[in-house]
Formats: sequence, C-alpha cells, structure tokens
Amino acid sequence: MWDYFWGIRCVWLRYFDVFKKSFFYYLVTTFLEPILYLLSFGLGVGSLIGHLKYQGTDISYRSFIFSGIIGQTLLFQGFFEASYGGFIRMYYQKIFQAMAITPITLSEVLWGELLWDTTRATVAAEVVALIGVISGDFPPQCLLLIIPVCFVSALLFSGLGLTVAAYSKTIEQISYPQYLLIFPMFLFCGVFYPIENLPVILQWLAWSLPLTSVISILRSLTLGFSIDPKAIVILIFWLVIWVWIARRAMTQRLVK
Amino acid sequence: MDPQVPLQISHLTKRYRTPSGGFLEAVSDVSFNVYAGECFGLLGPNGAGKSTTINCISGFYPTTSGNVSILGHDVYAHPKQARQLLGVCSQEDTLDTDFKVKDQLIRHATYFRVPVSEGRKRADDLLKRFDLNGKADQLVESLSGGMRRRLQVARALVSQPKILVLDEPTTGLDPEARRILWEILMICRGQGLAILLSTHYMEEAERLCDRVAVLCRGKILDIDAPKNLIKKYMSQEMQEEEVRPGVLWKRPSNLEDVYLKLTGSKLGVNGA
Repeated sequence: MWDYFWGIRCVWLRYFDVFKKSFFYYLVTTFLEPILYLLSFGLGVGSLIGHLKYQGTDISYRSFIFSGIIGQTLLFQGFFEASYGGFIRMYYQKIFQAMAITPITLSEVLWGELLWDTTRATVAAEVVALIGVISGDFPPQCLLLIIPVCFVSALLFSGLGLTVAAYSKTIEQISYPQYLLIFPMFLFCGVFYPIENLPVILQWLAWSLPLTSVISILRSLTLGFSIDPKAIVILIFWLVIWVWIARRAMTQRLVK
Repeated sequence: MDPQVPLQISHLTKRYRTPSGGFLEAVSDVSFNVYAGECFGLLGPNGAGKSTTINCISGFYPTTSGNVSILGHDVYAHPKQARQLLGVCSQEDTLDTDFKVKDQLIRHATYFRVPVSEGRKRADDLLKRFDLNGKADQLVESLSGGMRRRLQVARALVSQPKILVLDEPTTGLDPEARRILWEILMICRGQGLAILLSTHYMEEAERLCDRVAVLCRGKILDIDAPKNLIKKYMSQEMQEEEVRPGVLWKRPSNLEDVYLKLTGSKLGVNGA
C-alpha cells in the first residue's frame, strides 16, 4: 500500500521537475489563456452587459463570467494536458513504458499522470479565482472552498483526456473529441450565459455534460448561491466513469 | 523457484488477441534459466517471440500460463521486489527526452529507491565507462543513434541489477560502440551479473553467449552452447558458399548456419 503511493509520488515528481525546468513555458501555457479570457469577456463583454439575473438575483456579468472561466480553465487544462500531453508521453516519448518496467507499476504511472494533470489544472483554476478575489468579485474564503470541486473536476477532465489519448491512433485524431465534445461544452455549458436561456432540449443536453455541473457548483461557491445536489451527483458519476475508462483503455493499449 | 537463480522461466506461454479477433500464440511453453555470471542469448527471426518473452520477464505483459521469477521473486505476485533486481534495455528508444543525459540516469535510479547522491556517483561512473561523459549535460536530442543506445544500456545498469535484459542492444551501433558495449558486459559478468540478450547478430551471440536458445514462432527449438549447437547440427566442419558470381568461399561452420538451418531459411540464393 505504502509502496503504491511511493510509486505514484515518483511519477508525479517527474512531471513536477519538468514543470520546474520549463517554468516560463508553463507560465504562458497555463495562466495566460484564462487571463486573456478574463480580460476579454470580463471587461469587454462585461461592460456591454453590465448585470444579469442568475437564479433570481441580480449579479454583475463580470462576476458571472469569472466563475465560468474557472470551470473553463479546469476543462481545458485538464483535457489538453492529459490528451495531447499524455499521447506524446505514451506514443512518442514512451515514458509510461520506461517507468512501468521499474519497481513502479503501470497502475501507479497512470495515477501519477492523472494526478499531475489534475494538479496543474487545479492550480490554474485557483489563479483565476485569485484574480476574481483581487478584483473584488469573489470573497477570499472561496479560494479554499473551491479546492475540492476543482480537484474532482480536473481529475474528471484529465480522465477524459487520457481516454482520448488511449483511443487515438494518431495525434491528429485527438481533434475529433476536441471539436465534438470539448468546444461544445465550452460554448453550451454555462460559461458565458445562464443555460436557462437555452431551449429546454439544449438545457437537458447541457446538463448531461459534466462541465454544466462543474460550473453550477463553482458559481454557487464563489457567488454564494446554494449548491444544486443534482450537480454533485452528475459530477461524481462522470468522474468515476472517465477515470475508470481512462485507466482501463490506456492499460489495454499498452499491455497485450 | 530457486532464490539463487537470477532468472527462471518455466512453461511460459503468451497468447494475444489479434485485431481480427483471433488468437496468436506468440510464446509457447518456453522454459530456461539464466545463471549468475552467465550471458544467455535469445535468437530468432523477427516475430519469433523474443520481445514478447522479454515483456513477460519484466511483468509488463501478463502471461497466459507459466511462471517467471527473479532470484525467487515471482514477477506477477511481487512485481516490485522482482523488478528491483532487474535492469531492462528495451528494443524501442524509451529515453526521457525531457531530461539531460546525466539527470535522467539519476532520475531513473530514484525509481529504484537509489538516493540522489548515490545515483549521481553511479551516473558519473557509467557515463565514463560508456564514453558519454562529454554529453552529461546535454539533452538526449543532441546524441547520435549509437549514443542513445549506449545511454539506454547505461540506464538499465544504474540500479545495479542482478539480471540485465537487453533486447537487441547493438542494433544501429557502429563497430566501435559495439566493442565498448561488449567490454562493459564482460566486466559486469565478471562481477556476477546475469545477462539475457536478444539479438539478430549471430557473430555477437557466438562471441558473447555461454548458451543460446533458438526461438522460432514462439517455440524454443534448442538450447545449448553455440559450439555444441554447431557440432550437433552442422555435419561438415567447413562451409562452402558462392558469395559473388563465380567466387567461392570456404569457411568454418558457424552459429548463423545453425540458426538458418533451424529457423528454416537457407543461406544463399541457390540453396547449395
């Protein structure tokens, strides 16, 4: 048992050391994108819209979009690191194969990969939240409150990404789920507007995708609304599904 | 399972499901031991099951049936204990391109719980022995193919294994690099390291291996010392072959003749 955690820690540390070495690269690729979204939508669209009604309360569009961008950050950082990054590590660098014939097992390698992707996405989401706190949109305690949901969501999206990496024959094939699933989630799951504005059928579709639940919970925690229990159930459901499939699919791909 | 024997393989069988839905038996009932200080050769054409056998030895692939144990540790029941004693240089290049040459040796050693200070000492020593110390602070990308191969063998040795498994380690090496590797393997064997070597080069096998197994379509055709195999299978001591139109060469029978005879191919186009 202890050995198992030791193995996962070894793998996680490998990723962390790469991160430290290429800190500038990660700084740009991890934090710049959400900050650009914040500026563009928070300031640009925010000044256009001013306020909107969310769950019967009047809130500023800037606060609304900031909490949505936390969810978008979790989605993009978790998915892209695990899908493209995971594919490169598995297919080109063969890092999984090299580590999994040492006292570290493949099972530990895959947990290490998922937990690193999760760590990276969670940190990025916290940076967005911190900007929200500094701008006065969120209360400071929300930085702590959102950690569990950020972690769980990041793990979910990393699982989704690693699943995609496991099933993709070439790196180009990762574009299919990227355009067919990730971008639709980004556009329809409530990052930019309350999904109640959508036709009912699209609302149902949005709720069936995990990002809607993630954003619903994040908005509740950052803006002080009550949490929708259904969102927690959907989130846990997708978490278990994607992490399980990711580990199984990647193991099947590597081990004959 | 004898805790004294570095590598024991008994009745190893590995069946895969092929993409078309059928089954392929890549390894059938393979048994052999590799003893301390011994170099054991695994010979066979492409697709004979050499790499599959090696993937089963590391426990990376589960076996269909049979056992593999390393100094008494079953690689499936106790993978961590077994692999602690195992160094593998796989056929594919699996070097970690995110780290510099020396750093990745130290890092690899940490996977075996070797402290960084000790890993650094071992890395320095290995880089010197493999004639790579000029490259210690460079990324893998700047290394030539032969250097990468040597680094991968060095990496397999950084944990000071009791059994070293090398899957076609000299493919792509120039004669000098090959000599360096052969010399290092000889020194390691002198210190009691057991080596399992898969190779296509019969001259290399004949030179390095105390015993060889000839593998074909997943089955072992014979296991013996190269010298004995030659005696057993080649009736004439000398071989005569036409190497260029009209040019005949006479040479002693060698392991390659045995290999080609056993695996069903004939040397030379005219089958003489």
